[in-house]
Amino acid sequence: MLFYHLSLILLLAFSCILQQFLPPIPALHDARPLLLPLVFLCSAVTVPTASMLLLAFLGGFLWDTQQVLLYQIGDPTIYKETADTLQFGYTIVLYAFMGFLMQGIQPLFRRGKWFISALLTGIAIFFYLWVEYLLISFVRGGFDFSNAILNQIIFTALLSMALSPFIFAILFKAAKSFRYTITFDSLKRQRTHLT
Amino acid sequence: MRPLNFIALLLFLAGLVWVFTRSETTVREIQRTYYSTVSPLISRGTDMEKYAKDFVAEVDHSKDLEERLELALRERDRFKLIASRIQELELANNELRGALNFQKKTNFDVVGAQVIRRQPLTWGRTIEINRGAKQNVGVSLTVVAGNGGLVGRIYQLGDDVSSVKLITDESSRVSARVEGSTEMGILEGRRANFGEAQRLRLRYLSKNANVRRGMKVYTDGRGKLFPANIPIGTIEDFESGPVAGEAIVIPAVDFQNLKTVFVISGTPQT
Repeated sequence: MLFYHLSLILLLAFSCILQQFLPPIPALHDARPLLLPLVFLCSAVTVPTASMLLLAFLGGFLWDTQQVLLYQIGDPTIYKETADTLQFGYTIVLYAFMGFLMQGIQPLFRRGKWFISALLTGIAIFFYLWVEYLLISFVRGGFDFSNAILNQIIFTALLSMALSPFIFAILFKAAKSFRYTITFDSLKRQRTHLT
Repeated sequence: MRPLNFIALLLFLAGLVWVFTRSETTVREIQRTYYSTVSPLISRGTDMEKYAKDFVAEVDHSKDLEERLELALRERDRFKLIASRIQELELANNELRGALNFQKKTNFDVVGAQVIRRQPLTWGRTIEINRGAKQNVGVSLTVVAGNGGLVGRIYQLGDDVSSVKLITDESSRVSARVEGSTEMGILEGRRANFGEAQRLRLRYLSKNANVRRGMKVYTDGRGKLFPANIPIGTIEDFESGPVAGEAIVIPAVDFQNLKTVFVISGTPQT
């Protein structure tokens, strides 16, 4: 179990680096697959809640370290108004919410319906980007949610979703290698009760 | 809720409070450490990417030649291909010549760099260049294009790569002046959707500023962020508000096709 969890952390770190090499695709409205959130979402459905929270923390922290752009510090007499940016760490909260969403369909995943989880990764990434865009608009003012933004979010979610079977394949392989059984708590309790 | 989950939730919340209470300096330090750790990987990855592209181009080229040798009737197409290649080389040559001229004629100490990655962030506007601390590039240095236009500032620094925050990013601020007038304001990046032309906002101008379409905008050197007199763009439109005026500026730099940039590494030479 420990090795499987360690492999997930390594996979998160690796996807964070690999994310740097995924450029926006102009033909798809500048969309790109979001690898790190995807690895987190796929992992979240395979682990218990406590581990999911740990992964949400690590994943969100890494993502913000890479993505948050702080404002520049200039002479305050000239630059009186600084640009508002989202608080470092906000992604951790969003990841935790998405993680709970993924855990909600863990029973189906346990029954082998992994494709529903794959579908949900796309939906989760769509809502994640949408909420992120709303938060940025909220702190900076000037809400403008155009079709171009919607298309960018939709294509990003679809691209990420298309990659989810590969991530699940890697996770199944890792689980097998480290002899980890993807347990579902209530099923486990049920079994204990019956015996 | 199971006790383990409850403890995990409490630990998670404690971690969250710790992250949210980090000062801006600490966050910058975390980002700096992260970037200097991953920058060798980015640098190596870029080399591999270039190698792979060159290899594919070479393979394509060889196949192309083979076909043309076998099929003499396609000779005309081959000449067409060569002509277009020459045209490409000519364009690249002109671009490099322009860049070289810029390096010669500029009053600043500059370090030339190639753009190796565009827009690695989801919402932020940044680029990555193939010069870093080893080439005397430092954090907060000004970056300009071959035509002298303002590109942005160095945001993150690695040994051989750096990240540049573009002036088109929404959180970017540049103190600027309008040529031929006494108007000064703060230039901000403007959110641009996919396919839209990139524009900038020049805010805090006088309510009735004498600003017309076509006037040039330059950095004014105030606020210690950018040196003075670097071209930023041209006024496209001016709107007078109840308190202050605001102008829309067309950037001097074509950010979509930016390939070569220069980092101003020192003070102007006398």
